[in-house]
Amino acid sequence: MANLWKNPIANWGVKEEVDNAPTIPWTSPIKPWIETVKAKQKLYKVGRLRYYYKFPGHGARTWHRWRYPFTRRRILNIRGEYNAKSLRREKTILDRRPVYWVLSFLAMLMAPLFMPVSFESTLLNAGAVFFIYAAINLCWTLVIGTAGIFSLASMAIVGAGAYGAAYLSLTHGLPWWSLPMVGSVIGLVFGILIALPATRLEGFYYALLTLGLVELCRVYVIQSRTFGSATGGVYGADSYLPDGISELSELTISYYVCFVVMLVVLFMFRFIQGKRLGRILRMAPEKREAFAEATGVNYRWARIQVFIITSVVLGALGGVYASHFHGASPSLFSMDAVLLGLAMLVIGGIGRSEGAVFGTLVVVIIDKVFIEWGPLRLILIGLIMLLVVLFLKGGVFGIKQQFRAWRNKKKSENRSTRAEKGGEMLPEEATETHDKDQIFMRRFDKMQRDYLKTLVTEEIIEEHKRSPLGQHSEPLERLLTYFRRQPQSDKYAIVAIELYKSYRIIAMSGQRGVPPRVVEDKIYTSETEAYHAVFMRRVQDLLES
Amino acid sequence: MSQIKIFGYTDKISVKPGDDIGFHVSVDGTKKVAAQLVRLIHGDGHPDGPGFIEQEMPCPVNGEWDVQKQFTQVGSFLKVADPGNKLAHNGSFTLYAYIWPTLPDVGLRQALLGRWDCYNNQGYCLGINKQGLLEFWLGDGKEVDYVAAEVPLVAKMWYFVAVSYDASTGRATLYQESVANRYNSLLGKVSPLDYRSHVRETMRFKANNIPEVPFLMAGSQDWHELRGHFVSQAYCGKIDRPGMYGRALSREELDQLKSGKPPSPDGLLAHWDTTAGYTDNGIGDKVVDVSGNDLHAYGYNRPVRAQTGWNWNGRNDSFRLAPQEYGGVEFHADAMIDCNWKQTKKLRIPDDLRSGVYAIRLRADNSKQTTQELDEEYVVFFVRAKQPKSALALLIPTGSYLAYANEHLSFDAQIIQPMSGQPPIVSAVDIEMYQNPEFGLSTYDSYMDGAGVCFSSYHRPIVNMRPKFRISSMGSTWQFPADLSIVGWLEHMKYDYEVLTEEDIHLEGLSAMAPYKCIMTGTHPEYISERILDAHEDFVEQGGRLIYMGGNGYYWNVAYRDDEPWVMEVRKLDSGMRAWAARPGEHYLQTTGQKSGIWKNLGRAPQKLLGVGFIGEGFETGRPFRRMPDSYHRTVSWITEGIEGEILGDFGLAHGGAAGVELDRYDLSLGTPPHAKIIASSGGHTDNYCLSTEELLYAHPGVGGTQDYRIRADIVFFTAPNHGGVFSTGSIAFGQALPAYNFDNNISKLLANVVNAFIKPGPLPGGHWISNEKQWR
Repeated sequence: MANLWKNPIANWGVKEEVDNAPTIPWTSPIKPWIETVKAKQKLYKVGRLRYYYKFPGHGARTWHRWRYPFTRRRILNIRGEYNAKSLRREKTILDRRPVYWVLSFLAMLMAPLFMPVSFESTLLNAGAVFFIYAAINLCWTLVIGTAGIFSLASMAIVGAGAYGAAYLSLTHGLPWWSLPMVGSVIGLVFGILIALPATRLEGFYYALLTLGLVELCRVYVIQSRTFGSATGGVYGADSYLPDGISELSELTISYYVCFVVMLVVLFMFRFIQGKRLGRILRMAPEKREAFAEATGVNYRWARIQVFIITSVVLGALGGVYASHFHGASPSLFSMDAVLLGLAMLVIGGIGRSEGAVFGTLVVVIIDKVFIEWGPLRLILIGLIMLLVVLFLKGGVFGIKQQFRAWRNKKKSENRSTRAEKGGEMLPEEATETHDKDQIFMRRFDKMQRDYLKTLVTEEIIEEHKRSPLGQHSEPLERLLTYFRRQPQSDKYAIVAIELYKSYRIIAMSGQRGVPPRVVEDKIYTSETEAYHAVFMRRVQDLLES
Repeated sequence: MSQIKIFGYTDKISVKPGDDIGFHVSVDGTKKVAAQLVRLIHGDGHPDGPGFIEQEMPCPVNGEWDVQKQFTQVGSFLKVADPGNKLAHNGSFTLYAYIWPTLPDVGLRQALLGRWDCYNNQGYCLGINKQGLLEFWLGDGKEVDYVAAEVPLVAKMWYFVAVSYDASTGRATLYQESVANRYNSLLGKVSPLDYRSHVRETMRFKANNIPEVPFLMAGSQDWHELRGHFVSQAYCGKIDRPGMYGRALSREELDQLKSGKPPSPDGLLAHWDTTAGYTDNGIGDKVVDVSGNDLHAYGYNRPVRAQTGWNWNGRNDSFRLAPQEYGGVEFHADAMIDCNWKQTKKLRIPDDLRSGVYAIRLRADNSKQTTQELDEEYVVFFVRAKQPKSALALLIPTGSYLAYANEHLSFDAQIIQPMSGQPPIVSAVDIEMYQNPEFGLSTYDSYMDGAGVCFSSYHRPIVNMRPKFRISSMGSTWQFPADLSIVGWLEHMKYDYEVLTEEDIHLEGLSAMAPYKCIMTGTHPEYISERILDAHEDFVEQGGRLIYMGGNGYYWNVAYRDDEPWVMEVRKLDSGMRAWAARPGEHYLQTTGQKSGIWKNLGRAPQKLLGVGFIGEGFETGRPFRRMPDSYHRTVSWITEGIEGEILGDFGLAHGGAAGVELDRYDLSLGTPPHAKIIASSGGHTDNYCLSTEELLYAHPGVGGTQDYRIRADIVFFTAPNHGGVFSTGSIAFGQALPAYNFDNNISKLLANVVNAFIKPGPLPGGHWISNEKQWR
């Protein structure tokens, strides 16, 4: 026993104090500091160039903020803040989508002016089709994405509306402006009929049912004389186009009419998605219905509501369709129409208006503009859809979020391979730390722990067991001081279940109002035993860190 | 069945027979409790002592009480008395204030000023939103419309903020400008921050102002079906000189107001001059409206006054020197001064009730005799003698009970484990208190914004002023339950004694002490007002005998209001072992206008009264005293009469020694009377006992118990004028050594020698052995 610690209080003759205790050879606490200097880790420069413009703050100038009429929504959701690196005042547009929408609308508005003459009719025609399909898909994405009802019958409702309106226009001579209204009534009836099984069937089964319904409609109109089994559709419905104008003017007018139709449906989308109904529905996505129901959300009723509203709009779109194409054809109910529509939704991303519109744009351009490619373009659409399904989680408009998640994953992977566990902060981490003092605190803590780990020995543990309170040898005192100085969160303490009889170890929350958590079930029968148990836990945590 | 919890407090802490005392009780999980008046004899259940002892007393209120759950308003705020609803202003208006927010980024909405009903969404309010932005909002009872500033408020910076609202156009314009100077704020000029923001928006509807909503500062009205109306959206930080105009002020007019010019009377509805009404002797809870409309505001849960204002420039350090620079009123969302519960029961103290320590014991189930749960509560109070008859009195240190009332050290203070040298042992009631902000805080805690708590009151359940309580951080009893060991000793020794509280002395002065020949203090009488200290000095000077039974006593200067003695104020500053430090310029007690801090720094070190004063604390071990050579001098040898050996008190309920926990030392340089003798001293303290900070000029290694000779407790005796005398034990653990070996021990013997001599009229023993020494050996 070469190493013996001599208790400075030995001469005082205190009962509880030992004269000496076995201890360990002294090593310098500075040692880890010297050793870590040798270890060299490759460190990279961090910092990101501000290559784009950010608005400065208004300072003393008054900032007049404007709102959309009749709402309290500001035109743009802007956050003023201090740049963490420079303290410069900046304004960030938190949601830039309104800007992009306005730019897109402007582009759509101006597009006919810039179309090449040779291609103009094709493009205008494709544009009108794009707008109508975009409107249909907006309704559909509400049903599938927001409401979570896997209905494939959207095209069928449009078809029913179109057939009904065309038929009535033909037989009763209804004017073009009444066709959407007629369509919406048909849509309402259809919607209610299809909504009923939706309350009973879920997911895949409902999709199968609606698919059957579509097929039923198709077979019906093909075989029905009334609906032109001979002519391949009902034609001759009243058109909104005035008579006797040039074909180009007709196409231009239809282009703008359909554009307006899409705008109207976009508003409808916004009013459902952004208001109470949409919020209720988004609270109850698929597979989380039980939770929503438990919190008092009547999601079934909300789903039926949104289904019926969209059915009415889809029916009205059928009326527009009939007026636009002068009638209706069985292709509305065809399988490829359903699948193309689905492709549009999936490519853009289900559940978002921009997704529905963008997906439609992609598919319509391939389908209607590159007609000379022939059947190849269908393969192309299929390929795009396949890639989207394979690699993207939320379609094209989910890319940003998906990319960020992926980057974060890579970031933590990289950091974990470079950083020693529990060690110093890397430059990447330091830039994200507001209180720079913490960076040094981590360094210091690491050094301390590296040193303290070398002090944990049998002798020291034995010494603590003998007297948890009182004067201790230098290594034990150092360990104890370190343990006691730890921050409050998850710091060990003892709870008395019955004083002098039973104790248990707990850990503090460090957060006022939050009770400590019980660390283990074990009961200790004396304070001394509990003190030592706390010490052993702390030693274990130290060695594991 | 829910867990049964019983908590209560009394409206008075000290009563005489014939006085009425009210009990305020709140329960969870039961409707009836069994009440029993008990006389408390001993608290500490430590196996080395006699255990818990109480005596059931006959009393008219014994029996079953009907009780209910009661609610507590947490958070300090100002409420404007506006009977004519002048501030329910439906036209244009302007709200303005200087503010110093401490937690703008806490993520909770904080109301600054306005008439806002947050349950029904009606009224108007200027406040801070969840994003930390200044915001003005108004509601019509259905919807809320709002305008927010551009940049978040920076914590601990002074701003002038306002909103001017034009009812005809619906336009609301926010005004936010910094008024930071070189002294008053956290950040200086060199931080390149642009604090300004001016935002204008058009509101879609007008505010609906119903008469029932009060105008509040630092809070807004809320409602709950069980509780009724209460205040929520409390604010953390200071407000200085707020006001309201009945018209929309222009930018230029607001610039004028910001510069500190007096507000123009044109359209002024209210201007609360937070500096008006200051006196040299303190500041009350009333904030004066100087607009002429007399819409004065009154503080709830005691907003802190006398704080530096927006225009404090560092030259003056007290509101008494420059009241106009001390307009800051400080609010805290977690301040709680008075539970204001409904009275459950009233008791007229029976005439035959002997003076002593009493409690109403409340139990959910009376058949259960022992419990570690929350279904048993002792509501403690002290009964004085109607006409003092005894020669001996025990002085209950109620001020220190207040200071430590419901302390959260084990849970919140990172520093407590290194100080106490042990992991805390918490109990069920500690956890209950920690979970629930309604118990309020002690002067050892900080509010959630980091500011120290300077007020504490006994109009709330104080879980550590209960007989069976053990302080979690120190592994011993503390304050009230520790003082019960002295009570137990007095009872065991069958002394004829009465009890007296510090509150009585504060209110009555020397006349409360004068009837007694000898007064014993509690184990840790740390918080002392000037009046109490004066009375002690006068008492001893006029021939009274004082036994100072503690350590670290007569340390902090504190203040009480005469009409509200249940609230104590202390400011911790400069030096001394302190849980927090008052901010620059905020060192004076708002209650009295005195400088707070430790008495040593005010020229009245405890040594001047007691012969000893604070030197160090360690909490984890106790040591015996060893007789000092002076104890053999015949002037004092009567003190150790009948005691064998040199070692005194190598036992005790506080870590096994009579000298421990906190220690006091003899020091001529701090005013120990020059003829004082050291009877015994402790020694061999561990390094966990460190020199107290006020003794340190430079920090250096070696100020622990094994290396610094000053770390020790001294038992000191000296005589005073008119046959007076003072005996000081210099250690908190001294009292807890008394019950060891069933009160039959040398510490008990030593104290009995002193008490027996002190309660006898006439000169003290040993008074003639005062000639010069001429000795052969």
